[in-house]
Amino acid sequence: MRKQEIKSELAGTVQSVPAVGQKISPDDELVILESMKMEIPVGSKWAGTVSEVRVQPGATVAEGDVLVVIEVG
Amino acid sequence: MSWAEEVAELNRRKQLSEQMGGPEGVARQRERGKLTARERIHALADADSFREFMGLTGRAQYKGDALVSFVPKPQVEGTIRIGGRKAIVKASDFTVRGGAGGSPGEHLGQELSASARSIEWRIPMIRLLDAAGGSVRGFEELGRTYLPDGNSFTAPEVKLLSIVPVVSAVLGSVAGLPAIFGPLSHFSIMVKGISQLFPGGPPVVKAALGYDITKEELGGDAIHVKVSGCIDNLAETEQDAFAQIRTFLSYLPSSVDEMAPRVTTGDPPDRREEALLSIVPRNRRRPFDGRKLLQTIVDKDSFFEIAPQYGRARVTGLARMNGYTVGIMANNPMINGGATDVAAGSKAIRLIQLCNTFHLPLISLADEPGFQVGLEAEKQGIERAGARIVSTVCLSEMPWCTVVIGRLYGVAGQCHHRPSGMFRRYCWPSANWGSMHIVGGASAAYRREIESAADPEAKRQEIEARLNALASPFRTAEATGQDIIDPRETRPLLCEFVEDAQRILRTQLGRPSMPYLP
Repeated sequence: MRKQEIKSELAGTVQSVPAVGQKISPDDELVILESMKMEIPVGSKWAGTVSEVRVQPGATVAEGDVLVVIEVG
Repeated sequence: MSWAEEVAELNRRKQLSEQMGGPEGVARQRERGKLTARERIHALADADSFREFMGLTGRAQYKGDALVSFVPKPQVEGTIRIGGRKAIVKASDFTVRGGAGGSPGEHLGQELSASARSIEWRIPMIRLLDAAGGSVRGFEELGRTYLPDGNSFTAPEVKLLSIVPVVSAVLGSVAGLPAIFGPLSHFSIMVKGISQLFPGGPPVVKAALGYDITKEELGGDAIHVKVSGCIDNLAETEQDAFAQIRTFLSYLPSSVDEMAPRVTTGDPPDRREEALLSIVPRNRRRPFDGRKLLQTIVDKDSFFEIAPQYGRARVTGLARMNGYTVGIMANNPMINGGATDVAAGSKAIRLIQLCNTFHLPLISLADEPGFQVGLEAEKQGIERAGARIVSTVCLSEMPWCTVVIGRLYGVAGQCHHRPSGMFRRYCWPSANWGSMHIVGGASAAYRREIESAADPEAKRQEIEARLNALASPFRTAEATGQDIIDPRETRPLLCEFVEDAQRILRTQLGRPSMPYLP
């Protein structure tokens, strides 16, 4: 199984995260970040399963931080 | 008697030129993962279209009348065809003295420089930069130092920007004057791993500031296409860079005296895209993807993005509408809410200037929350950036159509409007606007009323609700004549605007209303 890291493209506050083991399809909203009063969805390009959640709601993230790791396939 | 002997001499000299700095230098160039200057020109140009000029120039040594050695000048230059159209190419040859020096001097009978030819022939200039600028070794050769004057050969490079398209590719470690030639262009590109840009490299930094840094850390793509914005686009390979240059030029006229070429894209101008009816979420806190919106509206697959990694709150680039070239920009609410910071603003300025210079209509898809606020924005000088955007907007004259998709607030909102020349504005029903936001704005304007209320929070909400009821775009339309459209009509209306714009653009051909400042 190939692992893929999903990174934040911006600085913001984590609003919601997926559960480990959750099955995902491309375009699903995995993480919602709050930035400049907007709720920014972060998706995955790949289908697969969430294997690791690196951040928790309320956490502050910087651009480039890994949010979630998924197993592709 | 024929001239066969002299022709043989000519061919021998051409061969010497084609050897560039010699086999060792060429081998080192390859070890660095770089193509040679001549390979680059052949990869960039249409097949068999390179016509070299000043190809016999260089440093010769004679024994009596016999030529015993020859080193060509450190540039390979000439005309090529690219996408069928003529352009000038000037490639630094790093294998000859690191690409340094060799600019035409002021000898009697000196042939015109590449940039002067580009101006006189009204054809684009493409620079393939792989040179380190001056070197102190030059002092020893001259036996003296010299004043760093450059006007004789940099003035035409500046003049070029308001006459013909100029493209710079950074294809090596580029320092000194060549480093300035990178952004002294309408479009610039660098290649992952082989390209760095700085006025002075790591040894100069070490001498001046005392710290160690690698070339890549100092001036690689992670700095220049992402943070500094000195270079617009990143290419994975040199071939990719040449393909992007070809694409960029395909949208532009050969000079300010011509109309941009129109092509057949096969995308119907009256295509109504159903997805546009629901692309803006009703929940105002949910952003839409500005890039996706833009791509849905323009001719299919016609969008060429400029500086995608820099100033990401604004998406800018060239595209086609019914085959005509347009400059197009959109706020991207996915990044910083789409707010205009210094970087996003500088992209907008450059796109407006590009359109104004080459007589292209501009389309703006606005969801503008305003200029970026906060301490970081103040440190970067957001007000001067604002002053520059306002000035650029007012000095421009190309036809411009803005579609207000969502928010349009403050002075940044004003910068999507031009009260002169051919300008048109359409608004979607999802649009909302004002000199400032109701949330936040209410707390400031009604502070005394809120603070003196028995329940300040309830009072604030009551005032906000009252103001929000006034924010319907239809109320503005009743009073001002602003047109509101079905989002699905956006593409057909914009295609019609761009068609109508052609008549006005033809009257604006020639020198632009303001010089292009990089």
